Amino acid sequence: MQIDGPWPRYTSVYASVRNVPAEVLAAPAARSGRRRIAVSRTVILLGLVSLFTDLSQEMVTAVLPLYLTYQVRLSPLQFGFIDGMYQGATALVRLLGGLVADRKERHKEVAATGYGASALCKLALVAVGGAWLGTTAVLLVDRLGKGIRTAPRDALISLDSERAGLGRSFGVHRALDTVGAMLGPLAAFVLLAQLPGQYNTVFLVSFSIALIGLGILVLFVENRRNRETDAVADEPAAPKEHVTFRAALSLFRITRFRVIALVGSGLGLLTISDAFLYLVIQRQTHLDVKWFPLLFLGTAMAYLGFAVPIGRIADRVGRGRVFLAGHLALLGVYLVLRFVDLGTGAVLCTLLLFGLYYASTDGVLMALASPTIPERLRTSGFALITTGTATTRFMSSVVFGAIWVAWGSQVAMLIFLVGLAVMVPAAALTLRRHPEAAPA
Amino acid sequence: MTATSSRTRIVAFSAIVAVALILAVAAVVLGAGGKDPVAAGAAHAVPVSRALVAAPHIVFRDTARGAAYGRVGLVPLANPTARPAITGLSCDRVYVAGGRGLCLFANRGVITTYKGVIFDARTFRPQHTFSLPGSPSRARVSADGRLVAYTVFVIGDGYGSQGFSTRTFIRDAASGRELAQLERFTTYRDGHVIHAADFNFWGVTFAADDNRFYATLGTAGRTYLVQGDLARRQVKVLTAGVECPSLSPDGKRIAFKQRAGGGIGPVHWRPAVLDLATLRSHPLADTRNVDDQIEWYDNDHVSYGLPQNASSPVTDVWKVPAAGGGRPERVLSGAWSPAVVRG
Repeated sequence: MQIDGPWPRYTSVYASVRNVPAEVLAAPAARSGRRRIAVSRTVILLGLVSLFTDLSQEMVTAVLPLYLTYQVRLSPLQFGFIDGMYQGATALVRLLGGLVADRKERHKEVAATGYGASALCKLALVAVGGAWLGTTAVLLVDRLGKGIRTAPRDALISLDSERAGLGRSFGVHRALDTVGAMLGPLAAFVLLAQLPGQYNTVFLVSFSIALIGLGILVLFVENRRNRETDAVADEPAAPKEHVTFRAALSLFRITRFRVIALVGSGLGLLTISDAFLYLVIQRQTHLDVKWFPLLFLGTAMAYLGFAVPIGRIADRVGRGRVFLAGHLALLGVYLVLRFVDLGTGAVLCTLLLFGLYYASTDGVLMALASPTIPERLRTSGFALITTGTATTRFMSSVVFGAIWVAWGSQVAMLIFLVGLAVMVPAAALTLRRHPEAAPA
Repeated sequence: MTATSSRTRIVAFSAIVAVALILAVAAVVLGAGGKDPVAAGAAHAVPVSRALVAAPHIVFRDTARGAAYGRVGLVPLANPTARPAITGLSCDRVYVAGGRGLCLFANRGVITTYKGVIFDARTFRPQHTFSLPGSPSRARVSADGRLVAYTVFVIGDGYGSQGFSTRTFIRDAASGRELAQLERFTTYRDGHVIHAADFNFWGVTFAADDNRFYATLGTAGRTYLVQGDLARRQVKVLTAGVECPSLSPDGKRIAFKQRAGGGIGPVHWRPAVLDLATLRSHPLADTRNVDDQIEWYDNDHVSYGLPQNASSPVTDVWKVPAAGGGRPERVLSGAWSPAVVRG
């Protein structure tokens, strides 16, 4: 029996073999009403891929601080420095991966490269045996792998979802992803509790789990050929033109895309990183640091609970609105942290709002941007948007940290609070002025 | 897709799952069969004799590969290469002086917690246990055993985010009571009070009077040597560029780690000695990267731990002349955190 395999050539076979519910293949716009739209098989499969991968990833992330201090002997300061240097490289491969995926119409293969690289890194961690240069190099490759895979994976999700159900598709995917992220640290610490100091066991088990995720992707997820064999209305290029870096940049000539990228990046400038928010909570409540992981867990649970319903609401009332409402939830987080005397109730409220913020923004931004990007440039478009938001969020962390050191956390919170309160209405006006074009 | 290829995929996926399962199980079994430093240690404990504790000796953290990894060990000062006695204590940092010891350790679990134990340095029995707000960094006991000081890295202040922060505490060894947290002390520089949100203190070393002490203050990317006054709850800046001070037995000099250029990758520290009267310092003969709070071997030598190679968790304890010159000399193999008990 010959394995005809994971890398088939793409022919017209596709349209007939897809295990997609018939209604998804049917005229999309007509079904956007109250009818439930089935989430496609690909979205579920990619959700499972992300579940296993995140489980594997978070196992390692959770033990990394311990591993680096006790085995590799890097101080947090040193690791922070090295980690910062790697940020730039990620943006580059993200765009490059996007271009390759779009040009060859091989989203799956590019995503698989990213997932594969990250999986191999778990083995490499064992191989380099704790030498600091080797370990940090492996962490760099791991980070690059994550940079490569995100955009083509989101492109696959969007290409396989009908326009009216985009929010829900991303919601389902992100929910599965979050399940993995929650189970990872648990698995790691159960292992370490049973086998103290056996980091290599954690890395090997993490690799095994990553392998399963990779297997699902390679064996069961299928590339989707562009539906738009006809040229897109607002896109000047001929349909068969090569996808080049210039073509990707020309996406910025599409007004709605430009506006969404701008709004996403602008709001990113005022987004305080979760590590800092948790730190503010910890400082104000004098929470014993051993409970710190519970803050992550609380947010993840809220995110998990909200992801799918919020995605559906976004499909119904408008993704732009929900995206902005998500930032109002973030504003709520800032308000509580700045002005309320934190008790257990207030902390729970904060985590709930923070989970709501994630659910209303992370996948929803992709769902919001999808219809504005021609299918043949979908990955590159996502890469551009996520590079923008990742960059501004990184800048925001640096600025927030600097203000914190200079004038204290209360001042930093207030500045970001006022900034966000101004930015959200501004973003709303901008989005309203350039509404989504009618479905093609 | 034909039915065959669909079946092929399922077969292939089953194979992947099987391989993954076998690998995971093998990893767990191998991990369980490997050294289990904490549980197996007790079986390999070499009893600590009364005579050993009564004579001058070195207390250290065992880092040799094997069952005693992480345990507190002892060797006679007169014969450091003797087979060490291994106690039942397991620590990430350990220090002993004046009949009392301080052990800092991590309880690694679903939620990792960190604890400190003050113990009797003759029987190695715990006397006071308290929780630490972060992972262990430095531990010291005053010469007469009345005070203990320790520094922890505060977790959550974030890997991959902005820098790190430390907290340093002083406790009364007899009662276990917390006496001070250095971050709450008033800091003076040239007679003026200074303060910044990023003040971090670490690496306390006590003077003989149990009131004066020295420590590192880190702020805005620089480090300073401070002299502290426990009763007045204040510290004053003496000079810059001194990390992890360690006061000599005669109380006149400070051994410390000196930052020797940064560049890409981990910071490199060299051991150095500062004369407190002149505030002048000189580097010692060892050019390797020393990241340990230096311990005075005697009035003329200092000692510290160094990994056997860059990637090894196994460390050795070295000593080098405190006056500069001479050569580093290996004192103990498979040891870290030396504490010299001169008797």
